[in-house]
Amino acid sequence: MSAMHKQREHPAVDPVERYRELVDAAAPLLPGAHMDWLVAERSRAMDHFLRNGFPTRKDEAWRYTSLDRVLDQNWILQAEPVVKLGAADIAQFWTTEDAAARLVFINGRWLPGLSSPAGRVPAGVQLDGLRTALEETPDQLMPCLGNAAQSTVSCFAALNTALLDDGAWLQVSADTQFPGPIEILYLSVGRDSAVIHPRNLLVLEEGARATVIEHYASLDGTPCFTNSVTEVILGDGASLEHARLQDESASARHMGTVFLQQGEGSCYRGMSVNLGGLWSRCEYHNRLQHPHARCEIDGLYVAGDRRLTDVHLDIDHAVAACSSRQRFKGILQGRGRAVFDGLIRVQPDAQKTDAHLSNDNLMLSRDAEVDTKPQLEIYADDVKCSHGTTVGQLEPAQLFYLRSRGIDAGAARRMLCLGFAAEVLQDCSVEGFRERVETRLQQHIEAAAFGGNGGPGDV
Amino acid sequence: MLKVTDLQVSVDEKPILKGLSLEVGRGEVHAVMGPNGSGKSSFAHVLAGREGYTVTGGEVLFDGENLLELDVETRARKGLFLALQYPVELPGVSNMVFLRESLNAIRAQRGEPALDAAAFIKLLRDRAKRVQLDPELLKRAVNTGFSGGEKKRSEILQMALLEPKLAILDETDSGLDIDALRTVADGVNALRSPDRAMVLVTHYQRLLDYIEPDYVHVLSGGRIVRTGDRTLALELERRGYGWITDGAAA
Repeated sequence: MSAMHKQREHPAVDPVERYRELVDAAAPLLPGAHMDWLVAERSRAMDHFLRNGFPTRKDEAWRYTSLDRVLDQNWILQAEPVVKLGAADIAQFWTTEDAAARLVFINGRWLPGLSSPAGRVPAGVQLDGLRTALEETPDQLMPCLGNAAQSTVSCFAALNTALLDDGAWLQVSADTQFPGPIEILYLSVGRDSAVIHPRNLLVLEEGARATVIEHYASLDGTPCFTNSVTEVILGDGASLEHARLQDESASARHMGTVFLQQGEGSCYRGMSVNLGGLWSRCEYHNRLQHPHARCEIDGLYVAGDRRLTDVHLDIDHAVAACSSRQRFKGILQGRGRAVFDGLIRVQPDAQKTDAHLSNDNLMLSRDAEVDTKPQLEIYADDVKCSHGTTVGQLEPAQLFYLRSRGIDAGAARRMLCLGFAAEVLQDCSVEGFRERVETRLQQHIEAAAFGGNGGPGDV
Repeated sequence: MLKVTDLQVSVDEKPILKGLSLEVGRGEVHAVMGPNGSGKSSFAHVLAGREGYTVTGGEVLFDGENLLELDVETRARKGLFLALQYPVELPGVSNMVFLRESLNAIRAQRGEPALDAAAFIKLLRDRAKRVQLDPELLKRAVNTGFSGGEKKRSEILQMALLEPKLAILDETDSGLDIDALRTVADGVNALRSPDRAMVLVTHYQRLLDYIEPDYVHVLSGGRIVRTGDRTLALELERRGYGWITDGAAA
C-alpha cells in the first residue's frame, strides 16, 4: 500500500478522500479488528472525520494555523518492519538517567527489546505497548480507552482513533506509587513521508502517583508526521507529573493532543515543551467535572526560522473549587511563527474557581510573528481568575550588562533566553528533564542565525 | 593605563562630552565629580562601550590600545570593569552560571585555563567573604529581587572576582545608607592595588570619605574643568559646584 501513495507533489486527490483510502487499506492490519467495541469506536471517529473533514482557517480554533504544510504530502502508514536500532543509537535521547521504566517506539511501533523489562514494574502496575495489550488483555483496556479522548474535538483526534495502532499503556492501581519516572520515547527514523498515530493511555486509579515523560524525537531529518493522542485518566486524589517534549526534526509535522480527565482532588502537573518540527501543534483538553482537582501546565515553545508552533488549551471548569494554572512562554526566531490560543471557561456552577493563564513571548527577530489569544470566559461570580500576555524583545540593557562582563553577544543572548525559559522550567520536578531541555534549547538558539535579524533593537 | 584625549561624544546628535581629557596611571584612584547632567555617567558608559553614544572626536587609549575600536566584551576581557549605578536584573539567569561564564571568558583572554566547578565555587566563596556578600545571594538569579545595597555589593563582588586592571565605579554610593556605603567602600578599598586603577564617578563627596582618591576632577559642560587632590572634593562639599562651573559652562 505504501509505494503508490508516495508522492511528493501536491496531492491531486482531496485529502479527506486520501485518508479514507488510508484507513480502508489499514483497517485489516490494525489491532483489535475482532473487538466490537473498538471497531465501533473507530468507525464513530471515522464518521465524524468524514462528515467534518479538515478544518480551515474559518474555524475559530484554526484561525491562525494553516494546515497546508500538513496536507501537502501524501502521508503513508508504516507497514513494513521497523528499522533495526540498537540500545546505543537510542541512549542519546534519554532525558533522564533515573528512569524506572522505559518504552521505546520506533516509527510508532513498540520495541520491547529496547524497552525496560516488564519484570521491573512493581505490583499493581500495568505498563505495556498498547497493541500488545489490545491483543492480550483487551478487557482491561475497554473501560478506559477512548474515555477521555473525544473524537468530536478535532479531526486529528478522530483520525488517531480511527488509525489507533500502538502506544504506551500505563495503569497504576489505587494508592500505588510508581517509583521513578517512566520515559516513553517515540523516535522517527528514515521513512520518508511516514505518518504515525500513537495513542498513549495513562490511567492512575484513586490515590495513585506516577511521573511520565513523553518524548518525541527524530534520528534523522526525513519528513514525517506524528499525530499523537494521550489520554490521561486520574482517579480521586491521584497525582501525575507529565512532561511532554516534542523535539523532532526541522522537517517533521507534529500534532499532539492531550485529553485529561480528573477525579476529585486529583492533581495533574504538565510540562509541555515544543522545540522541533516544521509545523507543530499541541492541544490540551480538560473538562474539570469533580471538585478540588488541580491542573497546572507549564509550557515552552521555540519557533525557529520559517517554522510554526501552535499551542491550544481548552480548560473547562464545570464544577466548584478546582484550580488551574497555565503558563506558557515562547521564543521566536527568524521568520518563526507561533500561535497561542488558550481558553479557560468557568461555568456558572464553578464557584471558588482559581484559574490563571499567561503567555509571554520573546521575539529574537523583527520578522517573527506571534498570534496570542489568552481567554477567560467566566459565568460564575465568586472566582479568582487572571490572564495575561506579553510580547517583548531582549533588553539592550541586559545584553550590555552581560557583555560588559566579558561574555560574548551570542552567549549573552543564549543566557537571556535560558533565563526567560527558566521561570517555566524551574518548577519541573522531573530529574534531568530540565537540563535536557536547557541543553536542547541552547542548541536550537545557537542553530538560528542571529545576524542582522536578531539584534536587540529589533521589532 | 588610561589616556583620554579631547574626547567628544554625542547622543542623538546632542553633544555630551566636549573635549574631555584625563590620564589615569596604574594604581591610582581618580574621582570624577560634577553636577547632574555634566556627562559623568555618559563618560563611564562610553569607556565601557555602551551603545547609543557616538564618538565624534578624540581618542581613548587603554594600555596603549585604541579602546574605542573594541567591542564591549573585548574591553571587559582586557581588564576594564564598569560597576553600574543601576545594576541590571537578569531574571532566570543564575548568578553562579553568569559569574563563571564571565570569569572564564576573562581568564581565556589572559591565557589562563577555565576553572572547573569546584575551583570556581571555592574562589567565589572567598571573594564573597571579602566583600561581605551573603553567599545565599549567589544562588539566586542575577540581581533579581536584590535590595539596592545587595546589588551594589554584588557589583563589587564581580570586581573582586574578575580582578580588572581598570575599574570604573558609576555612582556606586547612590541609594546606599551609611552602613551599606561603608561595606561597599571596604570592599573597594580591599581591592586597591598597585596594579589596579580606579575611577570613581560620583556626585557627592560622601563616598570619598571612605575611599580616598589620589586625584579629584570636576566635570562640567562635557569637559574636565578642574583637577585637584582630595581637598578639592571637600571644597566642593562646602561651596557647591557653582563657583567652578559657572565660568566653564558658558
